[in-house]
Amino acid sequence: MRTSKTPSRPSRRTSYRIALPAILAALLASCGAPGAQSPLSDTPETVSTSIGDAPVTLKVLVSTPDVPLYEELGAAFQTKHPNVTVQVTGEDFNNLTTNVPRLISGTEVPDLVRLASFGNLVKDHLLTNLDPYAEAYGWTEWPQSQFASTRVADDGRQRGTGHLYGAGPGFGLTGVYYNKSLAAQIGMTEPPATLSAFESSLEKAKNAGLLPIMVNGKDGGLAYPLQNLQMNYAGSTQVVQDWNYNKQGASIDTSALVDAAATLKGWSEDGYLPEDVNSIDQTQAPARFAEGEGVFFPSGNWQAPTLQGAGKDEFGFFLFPPEEVGDPFTAMTAAGVLAIPAKSEQRDAAAAFLNFIQTDTDARQSTLDLLGLPPAGPSDAPMPDSEPGSLVASTVESFQALLDSDGLVDFMSNSTASMHANTLVPQTQLLVGGKTTPAEFSTAIQDGYENDAEQ
Amino acid sequence: MWVAPALIMYSVFVLYPLGQSVQFSFYKWDGIGPATPAGLDNWRAIFTEPELFGSVINAFILIIFYTALPVSLGLVTASLIRELRVGTFNTAARVVLFIPQVLPPVAAGIAWTWMFSTEGLVNQALRAVGLESLTRAWLGDFTFALPAVGVIGFWLSLGFCTVLLLSGIGKIDPSLYEAARLDGAGRIAEFFAVTLPGLRQEIAVCATITTIAALASFDVVQIATQGGPGYQTMVPGVEIYRLTFLEQRIGQASALAVFLAALVLLVIWPIQRIGRHE
Repeated sequence: MRTSKTPSRPSRRTSYRIALPAILAALLASCGAPGAQSPLSDTPETVSTSIGDAPVTLKVLVSTPDVPLYEELGAAFQTKHPNVTVQVTGEDFNNLTTNVPRLISGTEVPDLVRLASFGNLVKDHLLTNLDPYAEAYGWTEWPQSQFASTRVADDGRQRGTGHLYGAGPGFGLTGVYYNKSLAAQIGMTEPPATLSAFESSLEKAKNAGLLPIMVNGKDGGLAYPLQNLQMNYAGSTQVVQDWNYNKQGASIDTSALVDAAATLKGWSEDGYLPEDVNSIDQTQAPARFAEGEGVFFPSGNWQAPTLQGAGKDEFGFFLFPPEEVGDPFTAMTAAGVLAIPAKSEQRDAAAAFLNFIQTDTDARQSTLDLLGLPPAGPSDAPMPDSEPGSLVASTVESFQALLDSDGLVDFMSNSTASMHANTLVPQTQLLVGGKTTPAEFSTAIQDGYENDAEQ
Repeated sequence: MWVAPALIMYSVFVLYPLGQSVQFSFYKWDGIGPATPAGLDNWRAIFTEPELFGSVINAFILIIFYTALPVSLGLVTASLIRELRVGTFNTAARVVLFIPQVLPPVAAGIAWTWMFSTEGLVNQALRAVGLESLTRAWLGDFTFALPAVGVIGFWLSLGFCTVLLLSGIGKIDPSLYEAARLDGAGRIAEFFAVTLPGLRQEIAVCATITTIAALASFDVVQIATQGGPGYQTMVPGVEIYRLTFLEQRIGQASALAVFLAALVLLVIWPIQRIGRHE
């Protein structure tokens, strides 16, 4: 009776008979611990500084704004090695950073890839250990501080020591840009020599009805002044450097960070920051600064070519001032790191390209002209030319001064893979928005760091 | 047996990944290296890490903007359009309302980011009517960022709801309206006596689809605020993306994703019941 009333029933039961095993099979198929079981070897057994005569295609994957530079470098490299074809591909920087682990663990891997941070890449044996190449090309004879941030220890986490996993054509450098005519309005003719002189300029700018600081709070611009203040108050770069390099037991939750947070919060309360600071991103901030909004703009040398183009002689650059006159200057830096994936089939050619971009005179010139990044390389290599007195020239001078005084420190943002997006950006926004106290802020930064370290 | 091809596809592309996600959620894994069993740690974290749980709460707040407002306003708009004579204006009204549905949400997110910016259209409009004091950087404001994101979602869902409800109204027997009129019902009484009951199923469909959109929202938030300021507009979709790709915490991401899927089912189940009820 039932069946006549509801003819769908038996067929439904049959479908259960098929469906259940299918579902179970599908679920069972996914059992067993996921992940690679046997690690790859990341150290090449034989290395050669010769790339031979056979045709070679070198695949280079970088972020989109860097493509023109690498195309130029690639063309120059091809002239020297006619059997090599350099193929440059660009990808949005954030996409690149998020996709690198999958890109280089797949089958069609690039031979050189731009990295933002090492994350688990070394631990998972996805990158080539460059030590044999450093030996072969004599990089070991160069000033070694330039390679510190791309050395990773055997535990796959601690940086600054261990094997070399990356090298790049040039270095980023942070400091403060200022608008010369607005600075003249508040009687500032020389860049401030101390932090207190800088703060009094901020106050004068505010009183003169100008916006003291233009900064991109939406995507992390506040982290630069924060780290500079921290290093000033700590009186040393050791704490933050150990922390950046994931040294065992490192902690940034110190009075220096609490004070730095308090100062930054104070600047916000005093109206030194734009009212919409948390919605300004890294394309809007330089554009608005170039249009004359803001006396100061804390950022990096990568902005110099654009700002120089926007207004010749209108903008100046200085390093974040220290506490007292005579104290050492400090700045954040990072190499534009390229690494050779462990699965690359052209390791020798890729290493030759890395050596070329660090040592060739024309290559070094292109890096400075196109990206504003000064190259490092051998200590006797001449620094490329920049127009005397120009904005780019002053960033290069600052860089050389810091190289000599050992004042270059890595970015806090680069300490762990998600420090920037998940901790520094939201926490600095909460701080200048008045939603968190300096002490809570400091604890939260350390918590975010330890949370990442557990992964 | 006819069901076999579909079932195989379904198993390979839906059930198998689903099973994998459930399995991953009990591991600590970076997506590449060896995984270590993590027990219930990832599941516990959903409720103990304020950032994760906060994102779930935000998703529920978005339901007001993605579902409650568009469905109620959609009902009003649809009944008003029904009374319009068929003609240019009627068509124009439908087209205007439906346009947001044609745009990809990413494009809508970018456009609205401009409109909500300090010098954007929203603030210009406020200034024009003398409400200077209300202007702000909407998406960078701690109080208004989430509602501002909600407005984008509202704008996206309203057209869909209106058009769907309009087609529903078209199916209602016109004699019911005539009868109501003869009985002396006003517009409002007519709405509650005829339109609303007649649209029960359409409302359920609208509510279901927009609720899923609210709980599983990703694109608009990722474009407009990336979860900021602070963690003010963080939603599970963005959080899962970050956990997977940025933090490489595949286990934690899977746990949150499975939790979100279960939550969506739990929320739309009663809506479906109401829709089916005769």
